[in-house]
Amino acid sequence: MKLLEHLAKDWLRARGLPVPEGRAAGTAEDAAAIARSLGGRVAVKALVAAGRRGKAGAVRIAGDENAARAAAVEIIGIEVAGQRVTQVYVESAVDIASEFYLSFGFGRLVPQIVVSRHGGIDIEAIAERDPSAIIRADIDPLRGLTNWQAAVLWDRAGIESCLIPAVATLTAKLYDAFRAADALMLEVNPLALTRDDALSVVGTMMEIDRNALFRHAEWQDLGLDDAGPGGRALNARERSVVAADRKFAGGAIRYTELDGDIALFVSGGGAGLLQHDLLLAAGGRPANHSDLSPTSTTDKPAALFDAMFANPNARGLLVGFNFLQLAPCDLMIEALLISIRRNGIDPLRFPIVVRLFGPREDEARRLASGMPGIRYLPHGASLAEAVREIVAAVNTVREGAG
Amino acid sequence: MSILIGSETRVLVQGATGAQARFDIRYCLDYGTVIVAGVTPGRGGESVEGVSVFNTVAAAVAATGANASAVYVPARGVKDAVHEAVEAGIGVLACFAENVPRHDAASAVAVARAAGVRMAGFNTNGMISPGRCKLGGIGGDRAAQVYAPGRIGVCSRSGGMSAEICWTLSRAGLGASTCISMGGDPIVGMRMAEVLRLFEADPETDACVIFGEPGGSHEIEVAEALRAGEIAKPVVALIAGQFQENYPAGVSFGHFSAMIRGDNDSASAKRRILSAAGARVAASLEEIPGLLRRG
Repeated sequence: MKLLEHLAKDWLRARGLPVPEGRAAGTAEDAAAIARSLGGRVAVKALVAAGRRGKAGAVRIAGDENAARAAAVEIIGIEVAGQRVTQVYVESAVDIASEFYLSFGFGRLVPQIVVSRHGGIDIEAIAERDPSAIIRADIDPLRGLTNWQAAVLWDRAGIESCLIPAVATLTAKLYDAFRAADALMLEVNPLALTRDDALSVVGTMMEIDRNALFRHAEWQDLGLDDAGPGGRALNARERSVVAADRKFAGGAIRYTELDGDIALFVSGGGAGLLQHDLLLAAGGRPANHSDLSPTSTTDKPAALFDAMFANPNARGLLVGFNFLQLAPCDLMIEALLISIRRNGIDPLRFPIVVRLFGPREDEARRLASGMPGIRYLPHGASLAEAVREIVAAVNTVREGAG
Repeated sequence: MSILIGSETRVLVQGATGAQARFDIRYCLDYGTVIVAGVTPGRGGESVEGVSVFNTVAAAVAATGANASAVYVPARGVKDAVHEAVEAGIGVLACFAENVPRHDAASAVAVARAAGVRMAGFNTNGMISPGRCKLGGIGGDRAAQVYAPGRIGVCSRSGGMSAEICWTLSRAGLGASTCISMGGDPIVGMRMAEVLRLFEADPETDACVIFGEPGGSHEIEVAEALRAGEIAKPVVALIAGQFQENYPAGVSFGHFSAMIRGDNDSASAKRRILSAAGARVAASLEEIPGLLRRG
């Protein structure tokens, strides 16, 4: 979840880090007013969660409030990286003497830092121009990043000796901020040295961890910024699943709509991937991908079924679990029946194939047998058999309709 | 011998009084796992399915000699639970919480690894040494049916697929020496290649099966270990998620770790790289037994 620039910078500024003064504006008049109160030259930037805004023409330098107003008029309403710009960020322009690069992220096991004496351009461009100028290191999460460790890195990066103490101290503070924000990524590019020898956090990109929002009340109501395939906005059914996932306790549900006609209710991450592959190989076209982790109530699985039944393109449903280990089977059938009833689905006309084995399987079979049309496969049927069954059933429905 | 757990394993359950723990403890006891203690701070003195509950891991270890822990503590508290277990001297951990905050996961895994503690998870359903011990919900109520004892080491990024693979082995007359579900979160306690090195050193394991997914570099590290000769036993690899290549990079369809970010991240790239390194790549579950028997 990428934080917009004003939120990231407000947060860093509140921790005492040297961030240029600035505020967000929704109108050109507001932008002009902010420029007036800041005084001097300002940068007017499209407030979208995307990098490389400069290249996209979405960053302007304005000499006074009138120029800031004009810049905002030009930027608000344009599209940057597929997003419509509704706000600009207006901040004091920094008189830059040199630019460096700094970022924090995660490796396989531990956080990592990347620094370079070249900044102000993409890390990819630095890598192309001068790969030896990119210094990477792991950070021990139990010790954090000390000033002297940061100094070693900047020394290796080849910045001027006289800058090392201040840059290293700032780097260690930025790591602390990265950790305190529960950020997955924090990029400072450029980390600027101003003409009056001060350091300034000019460019920032910060991605925070959705799973740590419980520690960050300030970011909890940012809305749903998830995107579907290709960066498209979530549709109503996808949003309803996200909302249900937040509303109800236990497990986790995910739902991404695709353009096929076989709804796929799968679980267990990896088994779901395999079933999706198998469905395509069998000539089926998935209406969605989904995932459900173990849960002890029907709320979340029923919400997931609701989305699938509400999808106008879906003509059939595969409830294709791997061998269930952490949850009772009858709970899933209970959720299925709740959703069938409240969506007015007739399994005799909307084929539903169930491959569901594990704890309380007998009870699950008894429940399912009360709803005519549900095809509960015999114990031991393979994932591939389940896929073939639903593909054949949906083909029959499609032919009947056509 | 099996790896990590066996008949000598004395299991502690952290977060024993929660619903999922109760559900799994019953089936673990039925399976024959020796569960010696539960821990839930503030609930010491209670019991779950006949297992005594202590307030702290240290007290439970002192009283019972527990040496492995099944950790049911939810995501927001699990970092501390892992630190507590490691400090109390537990040697093997299975951590079930999923979507653990990344910084917490890094801290927990770092403390475990620094102490030489072997940890499955986050987002694992546990590990099983068939006929000897199961740590966690793995196998549910039919662990004996799904996970037959045998001489194949199984390491899976998916708990569900560990069951499907082992069930396929059982039906083909094969079985597992140990099966490890590594966990589906981005940061897990053991790398897949590390698990395979343990199988390599295990005299009761003849060959390995791995289940991989798009995203991350576990499978690539296995290929490197194969090329380096560190793993000489046959490795059969089943890699799912090829369908993701029909969609733009950066879209997550299952485990958060299963997101394609780079060139070597896709299912087909991993199959290609593993195959070039000498692994036997299976196109389906059904092919696995035949590839193992190829000798």
